[in-house]
Amino acid sequence: MSTLLNKRLARSLWRTKLRLVAVVLMVFVGVFAGITFGGYAHNLGGMYETMQADDDGGANLADLWIDNRSATWSPGQVDAFCDSLASEFGSNPAALFSLDSCEGRTVTQGTMFHTNGTGGHLINSFWHGIPGDANADRVWMPEGHSIGRTAAAADEIVIDAHVTEALEIELGDTVNISAGNTSASFTVVGTGYHPLHVMMAPEGTLFPPESGQYVVGYLSDTGMARLTGHAVGTSNTIVLDVEGTPSYDLPDTPEYEGEEIDVLKGIVDASLSATELDARVRDRGQNEPVEVMRQDLEGTKRTTVPFTVMIASIASITIVLSLQRLVQSQAKEIAVLRTLGVKRSSLMTGYLVAPLVIGGIGCALGALAGPWGMNGMLDFYQDLVGMPIIVRTIPSSIYLTVIGSTMCVVFLSGAFPAWKASRLDPLEVLSGQNEMRVGSNLLRKLTSWMPTTLGLSIRSSVRKPIRLTMTFIAVGISLMLFGSIQMMSAGLEETMVGGLENDQSWDAQVYIMPDGEQPVFDWAENNSANYEMLIEMPLGSVADADDIERTFTLVGIDSFESGMRAVSLLDGKAPSGNMAVTQVVMEEGSMRFLEWNVGEQQTVHINGAPHDVEIVGTATAELARTMYFLRGDLSEILGVNATSIYLEFPEGVEVDSALGEVSTGVVKRQTLLDGINSLLDQQTQIFQTMMYLGLLFTIVVMFNTMIMNVAERDFELATLRVLGASTRSLGLMLLFESLLIGLIGGIVGVLFAYGGAVGLAASFSSWQFFVPVTIVPSVAWQLMTGVILIAVAMTPFGIWRLRRMDLVEKVKDLSS
Amino acid sequence: MSLLQMNDLQRHYQTPAGTVKALDGINLEIQEGERVILLGPSGSGKTTLLNCLSALDSPTNGMYMFQGTEVPRSHSEKMTSFRRENIGYVFQFFNLLQDLTVLENIHLIQELAGKKDPVRAKELLKLVGLEAEINRFPGEISGGQQQRVAIARSIAKRPTLLLGDELTGNLDTETSNKVMEALVHACEQENITAVFVTHDEGLVKYATRVIRIDSGKIISDQKVDSSDEDA
Repeated sequence: MSTLLNKRLARSLWRTKLRLVAVVLMVFVGVFAGITFGGYAHNLGGMYETMQADDDGGANLADLWIDNRSATWSPGQVDAFCDSLASEFGSNPAALFSLDSCEGRTVTQGTMFHTNGTGGHLINSFWHGIPGDANADRVWMPEGHSIGRTAAAADEIVIDAHVTEALEIELGDTVNISAGNTSASFTVVGTGYHPLHVMMAPEGTLFPPESGQYVVGYLSDTGMARLTGHAVGTSNTIVLDVEGTPSYDLPDTPEYEGEEIDVLKGIVDASLSATELDARVRDRGQNEPVEVMRQDLEGTKRTTVPFTVMIASIASITIVLSLQRLVQSQAKEIAVLRTLGVKRSSLMTGYLVAPLVIGGIGCALGALAGPWGMNGMLDFYQDLVGMPIIVRTIPSSIYLTVIGSTMCVVFLSGAFPAWKASRLDPLEVLSGQNEMRVGSNLLRKLTSWMPTTLGLSIRSSVRKPIRLTMTFIAVGISLMLFGSIQMMSAGLEETMVGGLENDQSWDAQVYIMPDGEQPVFDWAENNSANYEMLIEMPLGSVADADDIERTFTLVGIDSFESGMRAVSLLDGKAPSGNMAVTQVVMEEGSMRFLEWNVGEQQTVHINGAPHDVEIVGTATAELARTMYFLRGDLSEILGVNATSIYLEFPEGVEVDSALGEVSTGVVKRQTLLDGINSLLDQQTQIFQTMMYLGLLFTIVVMFNTMIMNVAERDFELATLRVLGASTRSLGLMLLFESLLIGLIGGIVGVLFAYGGAVGLAASFSSWQFFVPVTIVPSVAWQLMTGVILIAVAMTPFGIWRLRRMDLVEKVKDLSS
Repeated sequence: MSLLQMNDLQRHYQTPAGTVKALDGINLEIQEGERVILLGPSGSGKTTLLNCLSALDSPTNGMYMFQGTEVPRSHSEKMTSFRRENIGYVFQFFNLLQDLTVLENIHLIQELAGKKDPVRAKELLKLVGLEAEINRFPGEISGGQQQRVAIARSIAKRPTLLLGDELTGNLDTETSNKVMEALVHACEQENITAVFVTHDEGLVKYATRVIRIDSGKIISDQKVDSSDEDA
């Protein structure tokens, strides 16, 4: 008998093909998204592990970086430090890790003089001098994704593979580069990657300019000596590597994980004191390029979970609603079967098996398409960061978890309607008692003043409060996917582009060596350009409320209101110079994370030394944590006049090679803006996929509910038609009902979207990134209008059903 | 005075087994104020005739004139308009809207017909003996009371012709009688012509005319005089 019953159920389901397809699609999308996101996060993590590995294939990312950008150390000083360190490691019983390598390097900003079809160009650059026998922070040259070999001779260079295509650089080409000294030519002997340049963003910024606008090159130590004019082995950075990976603090977590690295840092500090070296010491968590990418990866992994859960929730709500409607529409059939003696268990089997079959089809399709989705996302990420993702596998655990949990959700979604089906009372159903219900007196009172047709629309809309609530929850979750991303993107764009675009007026930022400003002034005066000095260094640090050391950028400018880099104040005032306690302005994100207020005095570390500052104002959020000084005050503390010079060009003046020669790098504001916009566009693309997924879900959920509402109202609509109600008047009733559901759905959607945006921003925000959520009214209106339109779009469907309603048949139903 | 006239009215259906003649040449004239009962076995064609009378269904052939005008056929909106202006309908299962109160069920029909008249709605409920129940929902009153609401609803827009399909089929005898009495009273008060389909010979006493149908044809058509009714 069960076979026949199941066959009957299958045929009934087949009659509601549209809803059936919607449910299968929901399951498909849930599984597809789960496998895509799961596989994506898994392989992305693998990419970093492969690159950073301490083996022949990896680059062996260092554990500590010790640097001083305003001075250089002689080879002797470096050797002395490393010897001292080795002996400290040997004698310190607290050192849990043994020292693997201590290596001096020179890393420097610079310029590439590049000529192509459109003429000569000055490209902001960064050069590493890496000894041939380097152990840590080597160039990563994965097979099949890089070519050539590392630089060994004094005239050889490896160019970062991110830019070789854009600049059309090939093996054997000669490139002309400088680093604030004279320019020199190098032969390209290879292309490769570096763990500190996964994202090709210039130092001090999180944004990579467009491809080819920023070059990184890897020279030998002799090549660096030739470029800078220093002795071989002269260094401004020492990289330390220990056996294994000591735990370090992850800035985006509330816990402090840096106990192991702190022991090493203590040893390093002792050696720095012993050898009288001034330097900044950073672990992986404090080295921005490394930390940014780790957080990006963590963010990606974190994001996949809620997105998958959201999609699964929407799918399960749709399945529950659809199956419940199916049971309801089959009530009479079930009642007849029960009257004929069919057992409850036989009835239940079909209703339990049906969702499993539907789920199975959806899961199979999702599992088939999942790898395709994952590869698409990995390709996208590969294009975004320009790094090859070599190993691409989906572990069976991901399939098992995603399919297993989906089938559980589907089964549970089917269990309730199945239980309801088996519990239907035949007598009640056949006498029509199950359709009999008492209306709500509260609703009657609330709507009694309205025309009856309007009142009926409202009462019909809220007739099934559980279904309606579930629909609104599903719509809310769908719009959380859609709207929260829009809202957060708006805040992100404002933070990333707003200040640079609106408050700053410089055309080019010229980086200089200490005391190297005069040649740039001369160039500016010769070209009638305005200039303004600036100090910008990531040398600030402070202990937060949990006593975790947070680093921030120090910016010194001459004027807060009328300079080329104006600062937009949220509250307080601009600092006054030469005060007993240095006055500063801190940006919004830092103030929130540190829980500081305007008017407070705080002690911060600047270049390692403690300084008292008075917070006199809050500036609008920057992505990076920043403290603004008057340049004179900061100059006194740091002992440098400027680290770069802003230039404002008159009409017709452009950056030229003469400027390149006297600088250690030139960044054009437009290039920076283009880069940020391009990055935003790319980021938006991946978000857009999810946004449109959310929109698609909203449409499916709304359509599903509206179809059910209209189908359920066949009885009363037929009655009204028989009694002479015109299609127009009934159409108006349906329209009003749609508007009402759309309006409530829209409001719920906006609330969910805002909640989601706050949640997303909170999960993305960390000391490194701060994303404020701004409610953009247009986004809220867009969401409301969208949901209302989707709801209203169902009215023609209702009218179409009304028109094709066979009243003779309906009257038979009404009379039987 | 003649309210409606049917000449050689036919309603045929095509089925895989061949043509089914649900109505096969019906000739019928009904005068204003008559209360006609259509009797016949299952499948005899009485409901089809009722559907044609109400313009829910279109005859295949033949003529159907209502107050001297041909009734529209095969045009859904015109047929609806005809029903709105002329026909009241009472269903076996009452079909009141559960979300509306007794009074609102009547208001709704008036509103849809563009004839909202709250005073009349209350008067009609008084007429069917339900003035105390106006703010109750259908689910809160008995089946007989619901059917009386349905009668009040059907005449709320002042139809010329009231039709009912097995309107007491779901009620016990005592309740049936109460409903029919209410109906007769309402029809007399409102001067409404009525046609009812039923299996129940006991309802003949409420009619002024009884028409028996079989195989789509009228097999007898009798006036019921008041002395029969009294008996």
